[in-house]
Amino acid sequence: MHHQKALAGLALTTALTAGGAQAADIQLMRFFGDCQNEYGSVNDASQANGECGIITALVNEFNATNEGGHTVTVQTADWGAYYDLLTATYQTGNIPDVAVMHSSVMPDFVSRNLLTPLGPLFEQAGIDTADFVPAALQNASANDEVYALPFDLHALLFHINMDLMSQAGFVNEDGTPRLPTSAEEFITMGKQFEEATGQNFIATESQSAEGMMVRFFQSLVWQQGATTLSDDGTSANLTGPEALAAATFVKQIYDEGLADTGLDYAGAEQAFLNGQAGIIINGTWVVDAYNAQAESGSVPLKSYVATNVPALMGEDAVWADSHMWVIPADESRPQEELDAAVAFLTFLNDNNFEWSRTGHLSVRQSVLDSPEFAALPHRTAIANTSQIAHAVPTTQNQRAIYNAIMSEFNSMWLAGAEPQAALDGAQSQVERILRRANRGG
Amino acid sequence: MTAARTGWALWGDRLLLAITIIVAALWLLPVIWVVTMSLKPNAELMRSTWGFIPYPFTIENYTNLIQLATVPRWLVNSLIVAIGMTLLVLTVSSLAGYAFARLQFPFKRTIFALMIAGLMIPEQAVFLPLHQMFADWGIHNTHAALVMPRVAVPIGVFLMMQFFRAVPRELEEAAELDHASRFTIFFRIMLPLSVPALTTLGLFTFIHAWNDFLWPLVSATDADMYTVTVGLASIQGNFAMSEGLGSVMASAVFASLPIVLLFLIFQRFIVAGVAMSAGK
Amino acid sequence: MTAATQTRVLPVAEPRTKVPQSPAKRRDWLTALLFLAPFLVVYLVLLVYPLFLGIWISFRDWDLMGGDYGWIGTLNYQDLWSDPVFWRAAGNTLKFAAMTVPSMTLVALLLALAVQGPGRIRAVCRSIFFLSSVFSVTVVTLVWAMVLSPDRGLIAPVVQFFGGTPFNFLGSPTWAMPAIVVTTLWWGVGLPMALFLASLGSIPKELYEAAELDHASRWSVFWRITLPSIRHTVVLVVVLQIVAQLQIFGQPFLMTQGGPANSTRTLVQYIYETSFRDWLVGYGAAMAMVLFVLMMIFSMLQLWLGRQGDDQ
Repeated sequence: MHHQKALAGLALTTALTAGGAQAADIQLMRFFGDCQNEYGSVNDASQANGECGIITALVNEFNATNEGGHTVTVQTADWGAYYDLLTATYQTGNIPDVAVMHSSVMPDFVSRNLLTPLGPLFEQAGIDTADFVPAALQNASANDEVYALPFDLHALLFHINMDLMSQAGFVNEDGTPRLPTSAEEFITMGKQFEEATGQNFIATESQSAEGMMVRFFQSLVWQQGATTLSDDGTSANLTGPEALAAATFVKQIYDEGLADTGLDYAGAEQAFLNGQAGIIINGTWVVDAYNAQAESGSVPLKSYVATNVPALMGEDAVWADSHMWVIPADESRPQEELDAAVAFLTFLNDNNFEWSRTGHLSVRQSVLDSPEFAALPHRTAIANTSQIAHAVPTTQNQRAIYNAIMSEFNSMWLAGAEPQAALDGAQSQVERILRRANRGG
Repeated sequence: MTAARTGWALWGDRLLLAITIIVAALWLLPVIWVVTMSLKPNAELMRSTWGFIPYPFTIENYTNLIQLATVPRWLVNSLIVAIGMTLLVLTVSSLAGYAFARLQFPFKRTIFALMIAGLMIPEQAVFLPLHQMFADWGIHNTHAALVMPRVAVPIGVFLMMQFFRAVPRELEEAAELDHASRFTIFFRIMLPLSVPALTTLGLFTFIHAWNDFLWPLVSATDADMYTVTVGLASIQGNFAMSEGLGSVMASAVFASLPIVLLFLIFQRFIVAGVAMSAGK
Repeated sequence: MTAATQTRVLPVAEPRTKVPQSPAKRRDWLTALLFLAPFLVVYLVLLVYPLFLGIWISFRDWDLMGGDYGWIGTLNYQDLWSDPVFWRAAGNTLKFAAMTVPSMTLVALLLALAVQGPGRIRAVCRSIFFLSSVFSVTVVTLVWAMVLSPDRGLIAPVVQFFGGTPFNFLGSPTWAMPAIVVTTLWWGVGLPMALFLASLGSIPKELYEAAELDHASRWSVFWRITLPSIRHTVVLVVVLQIVAQLQIFGQPFLMTQGGPANSTRTLVQYIYETSFRDWLVGYGAAMAMVLFVLMMIFSMLQLWLGRQGDDQ
């Protein structure tokens, strides 16, 4: 802490003597967890691992090195509470200067003019929006204006314990895991796997906090060429045959005992790391962390591989979202804090590669094309993820919609609800939410 | 039940006591477990959380949290809020309680009825409008905002009124003859007499303030303004739980220390207070 | 669930206004006003006014971030009527109270009977049972979420030792609610237990001595003497617990987030989510009014019972 302050002070002095822009203290609000204990004093982002570690180190590095002498103070919030908290700051007056935001949530904020348009600021700062991959730029834009700095695309992946897979005989000749190509094969392979290894085929968050299986479900619907919301985002589309097929399959995974219904996020991770599951369905954000764990030799998971979610119901398609950085609108924010915020965004953009080490897909074409990126572990297996990634349609109240589907889905494997009933329940709730969202309040 | 018992009754007593001790031990077990975990390295807890002996032992979780100063900061906020609220509730309640108990004024019955009606307004009925009001006033994220909604507690007024009414009038009448003002009587005679009642009300207000959750959750959104309750909730997320279990547990233990100490010191008053509030 | 809500205990009696004969009557009024002013100001500004503001908001399309979109009549209430999640939450809240209140009363009474009386051991046990109620809801839920955890908990290894499979209580729609009830019991039993202790302590010794002379059994002493003597406290505890448990928020919010499959989402959590997640403050305010009316009914019951007690 003191060390950092001293460094910041040094930078400040340098800035003043150099006659640079005025130094400012800015507030950053984010999720990704709190790992001050481990990374509080790491000032070099390349020395950090995992989402939390890398973003913590990036902020430290910015504080220690930026020429403007700016200081970024971080406020972290639990993933589940983050948006409630960010929202509340507009009421309670401590609006952060920079905040992380999912692209799926951005419409709520843009429609109420709660974000600072960034196009002109990016231009001044020299952030080249043409370097963003098209999907990312689209995520960050609304009404022909850029409202966010895209930081990654993140998608659902299959994370695989290769030792268990080879024990079950599911290895191709080239050493890659052999994955099912249809829902039926998935179930058959799952049963064979459990017979051969005595472990669960799948581990995944099955409780109410994350909705990992909702993401999986959405992927399966997209694989059939359908969607869960209409493309204009005004109506729900959860009662079609595609949704039913996908939901039935998800329920079957649990009914056949291929996954433990009792696992929460941490529990699923622990099961996977302990070698108690062949595959964990989780996002891109854990590739680096699992890889590090497997290499460290401290967990039973020794041989780790990440792959795309296979096409089980037709074409390749997978749920994806995007982490972005926004500058929440705040009329009382002084110019120097805005400058500092833009300087920080520029720094983050410059260090996009560090973030992509987590396992997230970089949003910068130049990073994707770089040799360092290609050299990262497991990236060849997931090189084309961004091509098969699907984002949810742009609509307000996406979180409420997600939560409604999640609750109904959980009742399928936790309370034995029939897929049709769960979908009907979700449909009516989502319709109600959309009605509210579309009448402007 | 103090009378001497013999034979089966005595054994029955002993058996009951033994069962009680076992239940009490089980009751305490989660607390001991949490303290144990807080004294183990995070890495060890990733492997296993079982056990009641902190081995391998570390105090790193505690030194870290003191160095980082986040949890101590929440602790200070909680103390400011709890102490501030306690003092204000005591002041407001004892003044109003005295008025209802001893003073004559017009519309006394109406005002009293109005106050009693306030007993029925739950926090949840007013927290949304209060949140909007405080937002308009721009006072969220201050200690005052955390304290204010809890100052107008009819129950406190009521408790103090009950207490003052039980004080013999003669004590005041002597002072009245000396032409002492009401304020003099209140401060010189009544307040010193009401120390037990004030202690009780103060303790309950303090515990209530310390454990308040819903209001600080929506009002204190700046991490610097978190109380321990909200702060601990903010680090309970999945990610923190799996990676830094020992740190989370240390924070919980550390944040509970003041209130546990307070409880151990003032137990007697708390029990007496319950008895009093039961109208005995 | 907090101390102060639980101390809303009292038999209510209006102060008897004696006809003032003092010559200093007018000055007394002024003095009374000064004594009352601080309370009245905070009371009116921070409790009464917000209550009416809340009623007003509940008839408006009030967006947390977008502001006031205007009067919409009873639309919020109509939406409530047809919102399955609201009914589920209301049902969960009542179910939670229905499970917690009787068990809390019973456990508190049993513990009070077990730890009443002299001796250091009993005093220590009293402290232990009371101690858990000073922890904040965050600490309590943290502890119990860990205790109940199927892979890292306290119960799981014991179950495994006896050859069973650890069960994920909080992950089961059937058992999550009972698990939260147990957590609430552990947390909240101290105050009702203390109420029972106070009440038990004030039973005249002579009653027991007389029973002893009759060689009455422990069981019949309890039914003939103890229980009738503390029946007012039993009623008091029950009403207090109803009012407190209807306001449950922290435990499910922190332990299960209302899940699994909506099985533990309570009214207060739904109000919170509607207002602060979905930004529909008007809709949330309408729900808050429903909760208010529900609680007012029970508070009236409390007042009425208090009066009953006072008359005797």
